[in-house]
Amino acid sequence: MAQLGKTWWGQRFIAALEGFTDRGRLQRGRGYSGESRILAFAVSDGLVTATVRGNVNPYYGVYKEPRYRTRIQMAPIAPKDWDKALAHLGSNAALVAKLLMNEMPDNIDSAFAGLRLHLLPASRKDFALTECSCPDYANPCKHIAGVYYRLAGQLDRDPFLLFELRGLSRERLHQALSTTPLGKALASLAEDRSAPIDAAESFFTRPAPAGATPDYRAFWQGERRLPSEIAPARPPAVPAILVKKGGDFPAFWEPEGSFIAAMEELYRRVREKNKDAL
Amino acid sequence: MPAACAAGGEGLAEAEPLLRHCAEVLLDQIVRQTPLPAAFDKKIRGSPLTACLRPEPAAKPWRTPGTGLEAYRHWQQWRRRLVAGEQAAAFTLGFRLEEPPGEGEDDWALQFIAVPKDDPSQRLALSDYWSASTAERRQLRGQLGEDFETHLLLNLGLAARMVPKLWDGLDTAAPQAVALDLDAAFTFLTEWAWVLEDAGYKIVVPAWWTPQGRRRVRIRLRSTTGGKATTAAPNASGLSLENLVAYRYELAIGDQVVSAEEWQRLVDSKTPLVRFRGQWVELDREKMQEMLAFWRQHGQETAQMSLQEILRRTATDEAFEVDRGDALAEMLERLRDRGRLEPVADPPGLKAELRTYQKRGLAWLRFLEQIGLNGCLADDMGLGKTLQVIARLVQEREAGEPVGPTLLIAPTSVIGNWQKEVQRFAPHLTTFLHHGPDREQDAAAFAGRAAGHTLVITTYALARRDQALFTALDWHRVVLDEAQNIKNPQAAQTKAVSKLRARHRLALTGTPVENRLMDLWSIFHFTNPGYLDTQARFRSRFELPVQRDNDPVSTATLKRLVEPFILRRVKTDKAIIQDLPDKLEAIQYCNLSREQAALYEGVVREVERQLEEKDGIARQGLMLSTLMRLKQICNHPAQFLQDGSPFSAERSHKLKRLQEMLEEALAEGDSVLIFSQFTEVGAELERLLRQQLHCTTYYLHGGTPRSRREAMISAFQDPQGEPAVFVLSLKAGGVGITLTKANHVFHFDRWWNPAVEDQASDRAFRIGQEKTVFVHKFVTLGTLEERINDMITEKKALAGAIVGADESWLTQLDNERFKDLIRLSRDAVVD
Repeated sequence: MAQLGKTWWGQRFIAALEGFTDRGRLQRGRGYSGESRILAFAVSDGLVTATVRGNVNPYYGVYKEPRYRTRIQMAPIAPKDWDKALAHLGSNAALVAKLLMNEMPDNIDSAFAGLRLHLLPASRKDFALTECSCPDYANPCKHIAGVYYRLAGQLDRDPFLLFELRGLSRERLHQALSTTPLGKALASLAEDRSAPIDAAESFFTRPAPAGATPDYRAFWQGERRLPSEIAPARPPAVPAILVKKGGDFPAFWEPEGSFIAAMEELYRRVREKNKDAL
Repeated sequence: MPAACAAGGEGLAEAEPLLRHCAEVLLDQIVRQTPLPAAFDKKIRGSPLTACLRPEPAAKPWRTPGTGLEAYRHWQQWRRRLVAGEQAAAFTLGFRLEEPPGEGEDDWALQFIAVPKDDPSQRLALSDYWSASTAERRQLRGQLGEDFETHLLLNLGLAARMVPKLWDGLDTAAPQAVALDLDAAFTFLTEWAWVLEDAGYKIVVPAWWTPQGRRRVRIRLRSTTGGKATTAAPNASGLSLENLVAYRYELAIGDQVVSAEEWQRLVDSKTPLVRFRGQWVELDREKMQEMLAFWRQHGQETAQMSLQEILRRTATDEAFEVDRGDALAEMLERLRDRGRLEPVADPPGLKAELRTYQKRGLAWLRFLEQIGLNGCLADDMGLGKTLQVIARLVQEREAGEPVGPTLLIAPTSVIGNWQKEVQRFAPHLTTFLHHGPDREQDAAAFAGRAAGHTLVITTYALARRDQALFTALDWHRVVLDEAQNIKNPQAAQTKAVSKLRARHRLALTGTPVENRLMDLWSIFHFTNPGYLDTQARFRSRFELPVQRDNDPVSTATLKRLVEPFILRRVKTDKAIIQDLPDKLEAIQYCNLSREQAALYEGVVREVERQLEEKDGIARQGLMLSTLMRLKQICNHPAQFLQDGSPFSAERSHKLKRLQEMLEEALAEGDSVLIFSQFTEVGAELERLLRQQLHCTTYYLHGGTPRSRREAMISAFQDPQGEPAVFVLSLKAGGVGITLTKANHVFHFDRWWNPAVEDQASDRAFRIGQEKTVFVHKFVTLGTLEERINDMITEKKALAGAIVGADESWLTQLDNERFKDLIRLSRDAVVD
């Protein structure tokens, strides 16, 4: 089971929930956040709708495996407040740079500070709607809790989702950002999240058949002179530098530990163990 | 890439995808085969890495949507973003550290700069960008890319991810710099800068931090005798000079001497960077403490050290330095920087005019010997190493003091050339060739004969076999020509050569020794025994780190160590080119082998008899055919015998020498032309060179079809092509064509008409030629070749008058003169 809420904002999201709900109840919902339980999950106009598979329970007279409909909506931020927040966002390089790297800036709430608002949930009041069609009257029920967790996992990967949950559509976000130079940078990125998947036909580059048959000389010796000396490669001062640029906990990384630490160890081991070959 | 590498599988493949395929498969294999502990497997469980690290790639790729698709999408997005940050931007983001403007210690600034990829010398400070007008900014974006701001922020963000301190500078709409305190500035210099530079960011540090500008803490050696080396008595190991220098130690930072008290104060200061007399200096407290302890112990004493020891210590230990204002430093500087060597005047007794670089070489040889060091002269082939050595022999004899004999050890193929060159350039010097079955074997007699000559010449083989003779003498100097012959330290001849006792030792080589470390060690073991330590220690200290690990520090240290002892000028050096004419002709003398001599004498005897019986046309015909046959013998016995016997270098010194010279030229990446008037030699040469030197060869003769000829010429001329050897028959290739890729021209045998030869040489020496052309003409000593050559060079005017288009002018000679011409001098025969 993958851990959900690995990023600080995902954790904060869950911590907020834990702050105002029964912790044990919430924990039970963990088991309901996976693909086997949540059959459908969608976010539209800030409204989260999910279909959750329940349990057969003869005690309650439930003999057929039930499907519950669960809906969650966060309290929206008013459009005029959004305008101010976005203006602040678009004029702070650190905020934009973080978002460009698909990270929620840790000082994101500074954009809302003057408005006495916040983006991340802090109390029950931040959730305008939490309902489930299950017979359990308690809130959150296991299903709502499961959807909470799923939401936290989604947020890990896509911090922009939080804006949407707070009532700012992607189009509006885009539009508003485009008005400041820094924001423009961010807006262009927000667009490419739905890029199509490039299917790979092979693990490796495939050799392509050559057209003409070369003459004997070219066949054995090539057409160009090979360099007589190759400049030595300098080992990098720090391992896994490229990976580090990508930040820790990328979306595809499910294990609990640090992705960068794992990659550092991998680079180090590969280099050490293959000294003779490399 | 040769297509041969791309063959296999289903026919030929395109080079690039194949190379990628190969690299990817190999790397994949290496990574998958790396043993990883179970603990690591646990850390990555559930991630895509697990599948990537299985010993074998999955048999089937993921095809069903759903499983892993989401992870793949995320991975792809992640990867795209990384690649975009790396490649898409039209500029490189950089960081420039600026020191505090005033007296303060802590107001450092790290400026953000943008370096356009199309003009890396330009640096645009972001503060200037943000303060520019909208129009100016638009103009700047024309160069930095339309999406400059996006890439800027993305790159700043990526950098800040590695160096979180950078976030401080991003809390604004116009990021331009981060303020740093002293500690942070030091951390930037020592840690962050490396990380950022490795990650592809441009780093600009203050001049005092760069390797050139840095003022280091040092222990300086100041000589107390004003830099004059005192010559001590010859030591027990032989006659080599030990030049001892008396000196004292001083503590210094950069150029400035520091008292022990001030030094102590600096050590006690708490910060890693200190403003010392107006400039920032990094202080390595631990090292400084050690130096101080060293100085407290040795600072008051006056010690003595040999020059070699000083050179070694300053090259290998950064802590030591020779006081720059000192005469000793001046001397060491002259050793390291050849520009400081003043060319000396031509020695009056030398029958040649030295070129400027040769005068420098002579100055270097003299300087080195004066201060008791032994060097290696490693100039490119054709630059005149032989002449420089002869000039030194002449020069030292003009100083007035009696000088003992120099022993020259050389490959058999060049000993004739040495003799001839000494005769030519310094006829007053005498040479004594120790060679052949009749050579002197009695030690006393040998010593007596040697003492009467300037130069005793022998071969490597005999240096070993007659070791007892050579080691019984104290030579003034031992010179090794083609010193790569002692590259194997285990070989008996290397050991024999190292045992020779001499006041001076000199190694000559035309191959780039600095790149072959064990050769280098071996040569140094001869010239400066012990300087590069034992073979085993040299191997672990230098050979392995430099050649296997490409360790830059060891490479630089080794370079500093050997630099003062090696003088290597290459013909492509700007300074050398200035000094050289566009075309340089040299005669390459070689001897006849015993087999050749026997054949030669046979022909001569037969002709002498026939000559008396013939006259008129028949006599002329006989003379011409004799010239032809003798030339064939001088080339190679197999050419004359026409019996299918091997065309091997062992049977002809001329061929051997050609092969050696070609190896050197090809190793330098030069292309060459070889002319011969004999079709059969051309074919044999081409085959031999192709098979033994494994080089690209072409052969053009009268029977070559026109289309083939054009194809060969364009292949040879291709600037991307491998260096190649073009063998041409003088008749078919001597006119009309352009072969300017070649910068060496060899005339294997001679057509006794300078105009015809010049015309052939001009295939390489014509418009389009950018290098100096070296023309090498082979002449076998003691034969008609040497005599005709002398006739032509000595009587140029006469030759011009009588020399016709062919060689028939030689048939004008009367019988006696003709016999004289073709007679063999037995003393020029060498086995």
